[in-house]
Amino acid sequence: MNRPGILLLVMCLLVVAPLALAQDDVNITILQWSHFVPTHDQWFDAWAEEWGAANNVGVRVDHVDIEQIPQTLSASISAGDGHSIFEMIVPAFAFVQGLHPLNDINAAAVEAHGAPAETCPDGSYLAIADMYFGFAHGYLPGPGHYVKSLWEAAGYPDGPATWQDLLEGGRAIYESSGIPVGMGISPEPDSQAGILAAVWSFGGSIQDENENVVFNSPETIAAVDYYAQLYREAMTSEVLAWSPASDNQALIAGEASYILNPISAYRALQHIDPEAAADIGLAPALAGPAGPIASTHGWLTYIIPTYVQGDELEAAKQFILDHTANYRDAVLNSALYNFPCYPSTVPDLQTLLENDPFGSVPADKLTVLSRAGEWSVFPGYPGPSNPAVLQFFSENWLANVVASVALGERTAEDAVAEAHARAEVIFEEWRALGLVGGGG
Amino acid sequence: MNAIMSRWIDDSRLMGIVFLAPATLYIVLLVGLPFVTALLFSVSTATVGDASFNYVGLRNFANVWQTPAFRDALVNTFSFTVIAQICTIILANILAQLLTTPLPQRRSGRIGMWIARMLLILPWATPLSLSVVGWLWMFDSKYSPIDYIFRELALLGPGTVWGPANNLIWLGKPLLAKASIIFVHVWRMTPLATVILMAGLSSIPTDLLDQAEVDGSRYFRTLFQVKLPLIMPIMLISLLFGFIFTFGDLTVVYILTRGGPITHTLTLPMYSFLVGIDGGNLAQGAAVSLFIFPVLLLVAVVLLRTASRAEVR
Repeated sequence: MNRPGILLLVMCLLVVAPLALAQDDVNITILQWSHFVPTHDQWFDAWAEEWGAANNVGVRVDHVDIEQIPQTLSASISAGDGHSIFEMIVPAFAFVQGLHPLNDINAAAVEAHGAPAETCPDGSYLAIADMYFGFAHGYLPGPGHYVKSLWEAAGYPDGPATWQDLLEGGRAIYESSGIPVGMGISPEPDSQAGILAAVWSFGGSIQDENENVVFNSPETIAAVDYYAQLYREAMTSEVLAWSPASDNQALIAGEASYILNPISAYRALQHIDPEAAADIGLAPALAGPAGPIASTHGWLTYIIPTYVQGDELEAAKQFILDHTANYRDAVLNSALYNFPCYPSTVPDLQTLLENDPFGSVPADKLTVLSRAGEWSVFPGYPGPSNPAVLQFFSENWLANVVASVALGERTAEDAVAEAHARAEVIFEEWRALGLVGGGG
Repeated sequence: MNAIMSRWIDDSRLMGIVFLAPATLYIVLLVGLPFVTALLFSVSTATVGDASFNYVGLRNFANVWQTPAFRDALVNTFSFTVIAQICTIILANILAQLLTTPLPQRRSGRIGMWIARMLLILPWATPLSLSVVGWLWMFDSKYSPIDYIFRELALLGPGTVWGPANNLIWLGKPLLAKASIIFVHVWRMTPLATVILMAGLSSIPTDLLDQAEVDGSRYFRTLFQVKLPLIMPIMLISLLFGFIFTFGDLTVVYILTRGGPITHTLTLPMYSFLVGIDGGNLAQGAAVSLFIFPVLLLVAVVLLRTASRAEVR
């Protein structure tokens, strides 16, 4: 090749190469929590890679401990750089100003798959701004897990159905066998969820329908007094130091007669001791004077920070929608731990629950979960979701109120009034930012 | 060229700036900037989703001060730090005395001393989070090895002094949880304090100790009236390190108790994390953490001045 030919070739390369490189330069990165059911992550990583290859998008998935996601998201938003998609399990209300509105893909999912389960929008929709800041693909119902043989002997063959049953039956079991009830009262989310369930079932709540603080009520005080009595008569001080995994461990070790948890505890026991797992029954939310209400134990929600732009943003949205369209695989690979926000994506969910493919004895043990959507609500209930409720929840006020009464350090009236005062301050601050309604 | 270089090198003012520049840059970037950022956050409405600056004056400080949990955290942070430092300095003195005794003549004795010194430094050399997870298991409410030893010694269990329960439930009872936190801080800080004190003890001129011996001074008189006064400046530096590390520590409380039961082990760094990161209220979290600063500044100034005076004397 002569010199002009070489020059021409070099010029062509200089012009074409950047264009060629730019064409397949769309990359997305996903930060997921390490799933409690390891097969889910194996499936997800492979599926994400296949999706990337099919859509000409580079996909990288990172898995981290569940508690590190909010910290990583916070740092990423501050830096204006980081993963394209984050999977949250606790709703990301506090981050809402740094997130893309995802109303478009939420609408697209409704169009494709029908209405979502009632509890799902609660974890991703900010009512005051009419904004979906996330896309909930799944949720985690938290049924009661009870040891059948113990509760049968105590006169409750189907486990406790009400909070009163839990107190009376749990006390009888504790007195006769030394095995306590396993409801945490420590600074961690599972404890908070259990206490909030009692508060709701007794007719109390943190806020009302209009996002005004109503925590200090006779109903809340009655629930707190109840929980303190449950602690004194049917539990040990161990529950004051529990971590989120402690109730699982207690059930597996045969050291708890009843816990409130997603089915991960039961699934783990199936692997460790199938005979003991067969002796575990699942029950719906416990009923109180206001009925059976429990907190959903997690909302599997994808969010996209505002620093994600252009093709990366579009690819991220498409990934989320395609993932939801394949949700049956997610449900199966999580051993029915993930519940679909769009039930039509898992048309045989009822059949799977009635005949658990993962070896439950009896096979229809999980059927109770088919109505989980009816008794699972968000911590903001009966009002809409907002960041103030989440901050109140994160500061562990529910567990602290109950623990201080249980240990005799305060009366329920004083403890609830103190928590109410703090809630007012928290709500006022978020209200000033325009992220919480009420206060009029 | 050489002449210019030579002039630069001889310019002590210029060389001083050059040598100090890396340290200054380090402090400005890794200490100064975060500190100023925290100051700005604390008087703003910053959240984890939006760190833009909207000035609200001292409102965050006032709101935080009204919270009982904050006041509990303040008291706990002080009491944990002071108790832990008193225990640490006593233990470190004892260990430093033991480990600076003249090495045994026999080879096995020297090896033994070397192993003892190596083991001593291990708690400090191990990553803190890993070692605290180890302590979390040691304090487990059901399977604590400490409880097992107490049961074997017939101190715990039915019909015993601390019975009838089979477990003490270290982290579930307010007093024991506080003691556990303090114990882990002491365990962690003692090696550093010991090494610092050993360096101090070995720098004492032997003629002073010989003189004391000739004058008839026995062990404790030499210790309290010769050695300790001489190592006082370095002991205060060790105390300063321990105070700063313990006062600002998040890891120990976060892993062991997350501030519970109730707020009995809640400290300022833990509360700042709960409010600022978990709760999303970055501004208030920053306000909580800034309460730590004046205390540490005051302690640093007082201890450094005391150390300086002791040195002059």
